Formats: sequence, C-alpha cells, structure tokens
Amino acid sequence: MPISQTNQLPQNIRESRLEPLNFSVFHPKVLKPDTKPRALTFLYEEKDALRTFGVPKNVLFDFRLYQRPLSIVRDVTISTVDRLQTASGRSSASSRFVLEGASGSGKSYTLVQAVEYCYRSDWIVIYIPRAIKLVDSSTPYTYNTRTQTYIQYDAAFQILQRLLTVNRERIEGLTLESTAAYEHLKGLKAGMTLTSLIEMGLKDKTVVMDILAVVMEELGKQKSRPVLLAVDDFQALYQSSQYRDPNYQIIKSYHLSIPRLILEYASSKRQFARGAVVGAISTANPTYPLPLELSEALQITPPTPTGPWSKRSPTYIGYAAGLQPLHVPEQLQLSEAAVLFEVWMKHKTLHTDATDQLFLSKYTEASGNPRQFVHTGLLQTLET
Amino acid sequence: MVHILGVLLRDNSFVKIALTRFYGIGYPTAERICARFQIHDRCKIKSLTPSQITSLASFLASPSTTPLMPILPLASPDYEPPKSTPPMPQMLKRDEVSERRKRDPLVGLKIETELRRQIRENIAHHRMIGSYVGRRHAMGMPVRGQNTRNNAQNARKFNKIERRG
Repeated sequence: MPISQTNQLPQNIRESRLEPLNFSVFHPKVLKPDTKPRALTFLYEEKDALRTFGVPKNVLFDFRLYQRPLSIVRDVTISTVDRLQTASGRSSASSRFVLEGASGSGKSYTLVQAVEYCYRSDWIVIYIPRAIKLVDSSTPYTYNTRTQTYIQYDAAFQILQRLLTVNRERIEGLTLESTAAYEHLKGLKAGMTLTSLIEMGLKDKTVVMDILAVVMEELGKQKSRPVLLAVDDFQALYQSSQYRDPNYQIIKSYHLSIPRLILEYASSKRQFARGAVVGAISTANPTYPLPLELSEALQITPPTPTGPWSKRSPTYIGYAAGLQPLHVPEQLQLSEAAVLFEVWMKHKTLHTDATDQLFLSKYTEASGNPRQFVHTGLLQTLET
Repeated sequence: MVHILGVLLRDNSFVKIALTRFYGIGYPTAERICARFQIHDRCKIKSLTPSQITSLASFLASPSTTPLMPILPLASPDYEPPKSTPPMPQMLKRDEVSERRKRDPLVGLKIETELRRQIRENIAHHRMIGSYVGRRHAMGMPVRGQNTRNNAQNARKFNKIERRG
C-alpha cells in the first residue's frame, strides 16, 4: 500500500508540488533594445557552453535551486549585448571590457548571459568561469625552458577539451594555413583541420599547452566567426599566484602559461580578428582582492586606501592597459526586482505570502542589491 | 599506498601533508619540498608519477648530497620563445652556490635516523663536557628551567642520555 494512503496524508509527499514553469528561452532574438525586464531560461543542454564550461559557484547554487536555470534580463544585459554586437564586426583589440560593480550586483550573471548570447549567435566561445583555479596551486605545473614559463598541462587539457566539445561544429571548416610559425611542434601539417589539431593535443599532455596556443592563434586569424574569450574572477590574473618555484619564490600569474595567454589577449598583445575579450571581477574570494593596477586601469576606487607611493607593478599596468569598464549597477530597478520576486514566488520558495509589503520591505532592506535581496531577504526571511 | 624510506604515505592524503609523517619534516619544510619538485598544493599521493616518487625518495634518502636547483629564467612580457627547446639548466654543486642560498632549509635537512642520531650526539656532548644540560638529561629532569615542584612529567618520561628523539 502506498505510503500516502497509510499515513492518511492529503497528498503524496513524494510528488513535486511545483507545476512546470513556462519562462521564455534566452535567445538573441528576444534581446532587443526595448526589451523590458523579464526572466529567461537557459536551454542548458549537453554540449552547450554553460553546461560544458561550467558556471561560477554562486550561479551554480542558484541554478540548482531553480526548476530550470534562468536569469533576469536587465538594462545592463542589453548594454552588454549591444557592445558584443559591435564587437562581432571588429578586432578584439578594441573590444576588451571588464564587468565591474559592487559585491552581489550581478557581474557573474551578466557574464553568463553574455556567454549564452554569443553561443546562441554562433560565435566561437571560450569561457573560464573560475579563473582562481588557474592561480591557486590546484593543478599540476612544470617549468618549460622554451617559453620560460610554467606550463599547466591539466588545465590546458580541460580548456581544450571543452573548447572542442562546445565549438566542434563551428570550427569544422577551419584549417591550419601554415606551420612556419610552429616549428617547435612536430606532427603539424599545413591544411590539417583545427579539430584534428585539438585531438592531437588531447592525446599528448606534453604538447597540450602549445596546441592550445596554436589553436587560439588560428582562431584569432580567421574572420568567419567572431570569438569570445570570457573570464570570471578576472582580478585573480592580475596578482601573484599561490604557486612556488623550486627555490620557493612566488610565481607571478604572467609566468604561468594559461594566465599569461589570457593576459596577452586582455592587453591586445594577441587579438582575435573578430570578437571580444570580456572579464568579470569577483569579490567572493578575499584571497584574491581587486589589485591596484587593475582598479586604476578601470577607474574604480581600490578596496584599500592607496596613494602615489603605493607599490604598482609596471608589468601588470601594461597588461591592464586599454581595458574598458562596464559598470553593473548595484541596485536593481523596481521592475527588475519585481520580476526576480515573481520568479521565487512561482518556485514556491517563500516562507510567507507573497505580498507587495514583503517585496518592498525586502527590496528596501537590501537597498536593491540583487544578492542581498534574494539570499538574505527572500530566502532567509521568516517574516509572516 | 606508497612506501618511502619505510614510511607509509596514504593515497588520498595531500603530498604536503603526507610528507610531515617523516620525523624532521613539518609543514613549512613539506611545502618547500613540494615546491622543489613542482608538486602543487592539491596534489595527492595517488597522483604522483613514478618519476616524482623516485626523485622524492632519492632526495629524502640523502638531502645533504642532493644538488641545488638553479634559478630558472622567467619570461618577460615581450619575450619571444625560440623555435627549439633549450636544455634544462644544470643542477648546481654545493661549492658553486653562494652562502645566502646555502641557508635554504632544504640544504641542511636531516630526517629520520640521521636526525635522531644528531639529537643523541648533542645530548651526549653535553654530558661529556659536564654541562648543566647534560646533568639534567642524566637525571631525567627538565632542562630549560621549567618548574619541578609540580608537573615535569614529560621530562621524567623522556629526558635521558639515550633519548629516543
């Protein structure tokens, strides 16, 4: 006999009491300059960019709470999409911008939306959701005498594998035009496809980092599709890492292979013929605060008091030159907050009745900050 | 499970923690050893390659005779890599290194039996010259001026001429 009958409960507690919620799907066609704030779901299917590359931890946490991964389209989303549309026709040297704003304002979410927009617009997408993992001494590293940097072969393997999974159909027609610049790599032939080149790198970890650099270089030369390089925890790349060299000296981020590659694209030392480099600052991990050189390049107030005598690294100043800030407003507009409130209301996560009073009180307590509004306000309140 | 010099290191433990199982290696020395062999912080014993295990074992077997690492050149922002791969810089002999570099804790590292022998020899030397420290070890009493009216139990248990270490 089913448990619900034996317990005489009014309903079977094992069944979900949530009906399927029908939000529209996030697609470039839906994002227009006059789009009002609304909730759009991500398809989040296998081999999609967000599913394969992953998302930041705070975004993943929310995605697991939602019935289907979704986000709110805000004004900053539309302005980011505008910038990407402009960037799709020109070199990434003129389209390097960094999402900045207060803690909990929605930088990571905006970057996720940018990645999804580019993926659905048939860009070639490379997304690194947790750049801290490249500098926190969590992956193997080894010194390379040719590049005079420390190669992170496992991280390079992971990025290359995900790049291939997400962009396989988009890079099918791309071939290696010339091997003149790649004499250090054996087995390369002019005319070989990028797909076979990547598969060659995935089989041999000793050359995987070199293959990743070659693939990025070739993607930069082609003009058939724009390329997006998106990095969250961007500030972690502009300071010393937690790696140590054999003499126990701290290794700077630009002496690690993958952070160096990203910094070169961020500083236009390398560029994509069409595309953009987009970063997002994160305040989640206090071990990697916003460094002075990056805050001055983006014209943001540094987190700690500084002055003209504060130490600045000329190398990092060079790598941060030319970055444009894209400010994410700290406060949600009332219409955006209303949409967010409606999302959580439809998910039946509120402990109390969904009234205007609850909405306005939590919005005011959070001062419009999205994270405070949702996590501290709506989800933690016991107010009735 | 990996055995190095008779010490069992568990597969699922981090290398920089597992190395502290050796007598004479604490957390700072273990971190330096991991950096010396380019083992990252989150590396577990089961992830070590056989060549890494061999090099660790040979280092720990005789840290004083292991050649020192040279200072590896690092790329400037404008560095252009050459087309061929240069050879790895040669390891340095002890007499090729400055006095400052010899202060590296790994240079004079002693572990296990060698360290225990050094401690026994130090205590025996104090006894031989008839110092206060030697007499206190012989009596099984505290050496460093601790109270003996109460406590001093560990000193009575451990302080001997043939101290186990």
